[in-house]
Amino acid sequence: MANDRTNSSDYTGPLRRLLLAVLILLLGATFLLWRIDSPRVERFRAQITDRLVPNLDWAMAPVTGTINLLRDFQSYQRLAEQNQELRSELRQMQAWKEAALQLEQENARLLDLNKVRLDPRLTFITGVVLADSGSPFRQSVLLNVGSRDGLIDGWATMDGIGLVGRISGVAENTARVILLTDASSRIPAVIQPSGQRAIVAGDNSAAPPIDFLENPDLVRPGDRVISSGDGGVFPAGLLIGQVAADPGGRLRVRLAADYERLEFLRVLRHYGTENVTDTARIITPEGPLAEAQEVVNE
Amino acid sequence: MNDLSQTRLWLMRASFLLLTLVILFFHLLPLETTPRRWAGPDILLCFALAWSMRRPEYVPSPVLAASFLLADLLLQRPPGLWAMLALIGCENFKSRSRSLRDANFAAEWVTAGLIVVAITFANRIIMGLALVDQPSLALSLSELAMTLLFYPAVVAITHFAMGVRKAAAGELDALGNRV
Repeated sequence: MANDRTNSSDYTGPLRRLLLAVLILLLGATFLLWRIDSPRVERFRAQITDRLVPNLDWAMAPVTGTINLLRDFQSYQRLAEQNQELRSELRQMQAWKEAALQLEQENARLLDLNKVRLDPRLTFITGVVLADSGSPFRQSVLLNVGSRDGLIDGWATMDGIGLVGRISGVAENTARVILLTDASSRIPAVIQPSGQRAIVAGDNSAAPPIDFLENPDLVRPGDRVISSGDGGVFPAGLLIGQVAADPGGRLRVRLAADYERLEFLRVLRHYGTENVTDTARIITPEGPLAEAQEVVNE
Repeated sequence: MNDLSQTRLWLMRASFLLLTLVILFFHLLPLETTPRRWAGPDILLCFALAWSMRRPEYVPSPVLAASFLLADLLLQRPPGLWAMLALIGCENFKSRSRSLRDANFAAEWVTAGLIVVAITFANRIIMGLALVDQPSLALSLSELAMTLLFYPAVVAITHFAMGVRKAAAGELDALGNRV
């Protein structure tokens, strides 16, 4: 028996060490492969997530619901206080609602006068948030719509009010949204009313800072930040939030979207902005000349 | 007898994989969509260390590698790096388990702590060398501190609730070898 045992450990010991070395090499190679050819490995990651997470949905929904219910229950303790706050807010809101209604009517009249055609291709698909990133180091959510629904990388995602993030990684049934707060998120923006262009750069905090601002003196806290569409991959004119200054004096964006409860998200269809490519032509009584060059030659 | 222990061995290996899935499930619940200033403990690493210390044969290296790699993929970490370091750490802990078996819990806690610290810093150094974007140091350190704090609780759960205990001297392990 004792002899037997030493034999078996002699045999399994090196074998086990070999297996361990192979495993370590494989894992290291995976990391290197990810570093060299990131898109391929990220696609593999998206496929794994696509297989696994929708299957867990039946369990995730009730557990999430229960935990949210318990959290809400804690807030019931401050019910009376909240009621007061809500009443005063409601009074303010009614004033705003009146103003909004008047503005809406005026807007409709002006649009009618102008014969403005709103972009019909800017329609949206609504998806449900399946899971979050699962770690405090990354800010992203997983939606239950994917390439099956025609989603494409880079499309904008909004909640009812403001921009939430950008699609990054599409699988068959799921798609990942990188939130504006993620450290890798960069969105070109324009600040109204001054018209200054800037980049909203996420840094893993609740209010992303504003980078590459040409003239910070023209920007005040409270100004609206909207997406500019520079670079052509992102639709222009989506509300991002308001400018706010942090105690250090750095300008940040207070996001308009409600990041506390991301439940349903809209993905905006966007097929790129068209560029004006042809040059100016000379108009003759017979119509425009085909080439501006011809006139120069004559 | 032999049959029974074989069944138990494979059952415990499967249950470690199941435990991984349960931990990941709770990580992925869409509850936290706002950025946090601190990070929770790495429970999976705690359990892996606690099991490696107590019953190395329940968590053979392929099972550990599969669990860690799955966690890397699902939690948006660079795939492979954390898994590799955690696997090396756990195997190192296994090799010390024989000498730590008779020591008290404080010695085990200190050893596990040193391994977790080494894994965290090696991870940051390699990510820095590979020029990968790194999370802020404060977040990594808070995760490290929480992992160290939660280790005794995880050991208590492992010992009392899951029944994964240190083998007493002279006891046979699940493979029928004297430990």
